[in-house]
Amino acid sequence: MKSRCVVLIALVLAACAEAALPAQRGDSPGPSPTGRAQAPFDLTGYWVSLVTEDWRVRQFTPPKGDYEPIPLNPTGRARADAWDPAKDEAAGDVCKAYGAPALMRLPTRLHIAWQDDLTLKLETDAGTQTRLMYFGPTPVDAGGGWQGVSAASWDAPRPPVPPSFFVAITGGNLANPAVSLKVVTTRLRPGYLRKNGVPYSASAVLTEYFDRFDVPGGDPLLVVVQEMVDPENLQTPFWTSSHFKRQLDATGWNPTPCSAR
Amino acid sequence: MNHSARVSIIGVAVAGMVFVGQAQQAGLQPSPGGDRPPVPIDLSGYWEPVLHEDFLERGAGPELADYGGFALNEAGRLWALSYDPSRLTLRHHQCDAYVTPYQMRAVGNFRFWEERDPDNQRLVAIHIWSQTTEAHRTIWLDGRPHPAAWAPHTFRGFSTGRFIGSALVVQTTHLKQGWLRRNGTPESDQATVTEFIVRHGDHLTDTTVVNDPVFLTEPEVRSNDYVRLPLDPGSWLYACDDGEQVLDRPADSVPHYPFGNQPFAREYSARHKIPLIASIAGAPSMYPGFGAAAMKASEAEAVALLKPTPGRPSETSKAIDPEPHDGKIHLFPLRDGVSLLVGAGGNIVIQTGEQGVFVVDTGDGRLTDQVIAATRQLTSKPIQFIANTSFHAEHVGGNAKMSEAGADLSLPGSFFSAQAPIAATGLFTRVGAVATLIAHNNVAVRLQAARAPAAMVPPDTYLEDRRRKFYNGEGIELFHEPNAVTDGDSIVHFRRADVIVTGDVFTTTQYPFIDLKNGGTVQGEIRALNDILNRTVYQHEEDGGTIVVPGHGYVSNEHEVLEHRDMLVIIRDRVQAMLDTGATLDQVKAARLTADYDTQYGASSGPWTTDMFIEAVYRTLPAAPKR
Repeated sequence: MKSRCVVLIALVLAACAEAALPAQRGDSPGPSPTGRAQAPFDLTGYWVSLVTEDWRVRQFTPPKGDYEPIPLNPTGRARADAWDPAKDEAAGDVCKAYGAPALMRLPTRLHIAWQDDLTLKLETDAGTQTRLMYFGPTPVDAGGGWQGVSAASWDAPRPPVPPSFFVAITGGNLANPAVSLKVVTTRLRPGYLRKNGVPYSASAVLTEYFDRFDVPGGDPLLVVVQEMVDPENLQTPFWTSSHFKRQLDATGWNPTPCSAR
Repeated sequence: MNHSARVSIIGVAVAGMVFVGQAQQAGLQPSPGGDRPPVPIDLSGYWEPVLHEDFLERGAGPELADYGGFALNEAGRLWALSYDPSRLTLRHHQCDAYVTPYQMRAVGNFRFWEERDPDNQRLVAIHIWSQTTEAHRTIWLDGRPHPAAWAPHTFRGFSTGRFIGSALVVQTTHLKQGWLRRNGTPESDQATVTEFIVRHGDHLTDTTVVNDPVFLTEPEVRSNDYVRLPLDPGSWLYACDDGEQVLDRPADSVPHYPFGNQPFAREYSARHKIPLIASIAGAPSMYPGFGAAAMKASEAEAVALLKPTPGRPSETSKAIDPEPHDGKIHLFPLRDGVSLLVGAGGNIVIQTGEQGVFVVDTGDGRLTDQVIAATRQLTSKPIQFIANTSFHAEHVGGNAKMSEAGADLSLPGSFFSAQAPIAATGLFTRVGAVATLIAHNNVAVRLQAARAPAAMVPPDTYLEDRRRKFYNGEGIELFHEPNAVTDGDSIVHFRRADVIVTGDVFTTTQYPFIDLKNGGTVQGEIRALNDILNRTVYQHEEDGGTIVVPGHGYVSNEHEVLEHRDMLVIIRDRVQAMLDTGATLDQVKAARLTADYDTQYGASSGPWTTDMFIEAVYRTLPAAPKR
């Protein structure tokens, strides 16, 4: 009798846990259920950057050697000190400061739209660049350009908790909605973090979190937090956060070509 | 299955439902992405700021005249250009704390922890301790409302929050005046802040949106990033105490730069080889295309921004009126039996205790019945003393009725009741049957000259610097402030509660009222403000401590008095400088010498306009000797 009770209790508990787990994972069963269908907020439309931090070095090209406080290692510093915009122009590399790691820091407008259900497209008028963020598998032949290859996912605010009966039954992690857009970009063509030649390499990994905030009584904000990891040039990860204000339309959209200076 | 097993299963199932319900209740708000409630994000722990943005500004310190990326309006730009960092050598500024938007950018470590209700474990608040300035911030999550408009402002402000989507969204009000950048880029006491605090793994981002109707044309958006520390980094204290840094400096000296003569205005642009206009252009400096546009701007356009735009009408105050106009009297306890009554046309302070009620000022008289009723909510003892800080109508309007409602039980049977020369003075006609009115003698003189009713005129007056009483177990002192607003002003200091009632010597709502016809002078007003500052003590980092109740406006402490004193000294110096060149009153008015303060205090109509203030300053300063 006692053993039958234990089995019954175990079945009830397992049923409770199982019922809770899909919600805990933040998704429904099935392959690649991400992208447009699961977007927790709307990023599409036009956005304009608010250059309020690192203002001078973003609005004006800083002189060579002005790279504080980017945590460059000796190799990175030597490369930055060797910056020669004329050489870049001669080589046709005028877009080196318009790659994904620097693009969101430029004074620019963004146009964000769904290219398809699994691909978010982000265009800038500064340098007329296009970033594609893939919720599904990334194209095998992509990469090697200024924007690299970007894998996107809707990220939960904290790491998932391993399934357990206690967690499930206490409701401790029942609701863990995906609420940030996480984008990991690799296979970048080497470029500049700043226009004055602060380098990043082809092995750099850029992790970004896109959050939309609805300001009471104000314009919605898009905040892009970036972590740049590049052991070839950086001693430690380099963190920035960039802000964009939502626009109602394309007002001010002003495509301009890349400039090396 | 036996009975105990059935009980176990039912118990587990019920417990599960209860716990799930509690978790859902704790979620507070629906998420934007669905109907599942968001989970409070665990922010607890030690966080180290990442200084990869604005590194120099936040570390070693910003350069002067670098206001790029701020949507400063004209007032904000001129306020910043006038700011001389030597102001920090003034005793009262030495321990200035940081206002919240700047505090969150401080270089020291942060500690976050949760406060939960011990009975139901609901999240009540999140606390943040910042090493720099030992700043303790509380973000209330229990749904409590923000304080009334007349409540004190602090460097931290009052914050409430809720979880929405991925963020803890925080609203902060009741901030003190401070800076957005440590080079004088100002933030006013009218600023409000919205924050979005998001955690991505061991990385925290706090995006702050500052709205400041006084100094900004658009919200200021910045983010602060932090990484989680696995261990307590220690060193959480940050001691500060003030002292003399410049000996023999006159008390009415406040370092500042004259309009158009900021000696370092060009230093920043020259050092970085950018146009002068770049860092002073305000909102355009935040947007794409600004760099190219700035390169095309003329030198004249930039120089014009270094001083007030001539010929423009003066701005008027963008500040909210902290006084209620709902026809009700509002009681606001201050400390140790001393309370504020607001809504009577001017602030009223009452002290209650074993002996009775001591009142400072009686409002304009329209709501005196409610004022009396409010005192009776606190005590059944009679109103025994009423002190007036001024003879102006909004301070004595309720004198007669409140006096009539009280009684001075110390008088019946005394020398006064037996021998008062009633016929000669007409003042002691009802000795002891009414509360005793106390004021500087010039209050009585001015009221009598204005043929005020006898019951409104204080019979108990003093002539020199001080009147004192020990009442309800507390020392109460009245100090005469000669020739400030008028020639009869007093401030009242409750010494145990440490509350100073200033009358109109200090207000938070307008330029100092200098009543020329009744003996007011700008120099006397500055002396009076300095006298208040000589009596105040801050609790921590220029915040808290002595409570200062203005004649009009919100409950303050020395920081508000200090900023008011600084403002008056700076404007006096500007007017005096023009007087020294022989400028006429019209020329002084046209120069817009108050342009950096007008969005806070300016008025173009009503009883005390900016023009009246400038005229009062002009007329009470010495003109240059004729050559």
